[in-house]
Amino acid sequence: MLQLQSTEQLLKAIALACAILSLGIGIWYLIRRPHLHRVTKTLLLLGLGVFPLIVSLTGNIASFEYTLTRPFCGSCHVMGPYLRDAEDPKSNSLAAMHSRNHKFGENSCYTCHADYQMFGAVTTKMNGMRHLFKYVTEYASTGPDGEGGPPIHLYKPFKSEACMQCHSMTAKKYLEQHADQVEQMRSGDVACIDCHNEVHPLALARRISAKMEEK
Amino acid sequence: MAKKMVLFSVLGTMVAMVFMASSIIFPHPLMLVLAMSIGQGIAIFALALFLLAVALDLQSSGGSYIPAEEPAPEPAPEPGSEAPPAP
Repeated sequence: MLQLQSTEQLLKAIALACAILSLGIGIWYLIRRPHLHRVTKTLLLLGLGVFPLIVSLTGNIASFEYTLTRPFCGSCHVMGPYLRDAEDPKSNSLAAMHSRNHKFGENSCYTCHADYQMFGAVTTKMNGMRHLFKYVTEYASTGPDGEGGPPIHLYKPFKSEACMQCHSMTAKKYLEQHADQVEQMRSGDVACIDCHNEVHPLALARRISAKMEEK
Repeated sequence: MAKKMVLFSVLGTMVAMVFMASSIIFPHPLMLVLAMSIGQGIAIFALALFLLAVALDLQSSGGSYIPAEEPAPEPAPEPGSEAPPAP
């Protein structure tokens, strides 16, 4: 029996049911070709207006929820090494350790890489469109992990605000361990990943073009 | 004219529904973008076309109510003819 385990799955089920109903009404109209009576118009209003609107609304919400997950980020082949490292239970990289966190592990890519500001979700999704454009134009036919493509890099430096969503800079333990850098950290002169730099260790090393740049 | 517009509207909606449903079943980034842009664009255009067709249809019929398929009225008995005997 079909089990709906999350709101996303429920929304998807509603969207698919409405899409099927809409298609059914469309097929009925194409086969019967009835006159435009009141009943026909009402049915068509459901099939062409109400059901598609529900599909659009629930589909958009479900799709947006899915775009936050790690499998979605890894669905482009260039992200393969990043995904494998993040999902490796033996890996000690920052990405893997954060992906094992049961509170946000499934959305670890988005949690750490989304812009942390008022319209952060919007700017992150705009960047996502840029990723897709680059993926289609620069990484097509570049090997199973995109080895032949240009090295992957962030559009802008990684900000410590993303880490500070969870790691407080005022906690006692933090202050004890980072006493000499606290001011620099708060002013933004030093970022967390300047020292904690084992984020995606395997992925970048696999790039042929990145190795050539290092030489 | 209105019937043709409704036909295009139905076809457009069906294409849009296939786009959107496939993006839900196979949520690949490219598929999602196509569904959310082209699919929804087609669906909105189809709905607008349908509403226009309904408006044109109402205008041509003068806003009068066209009854749904009702049974045709029985012909009136000719004068002088007798009603058939009851069984």
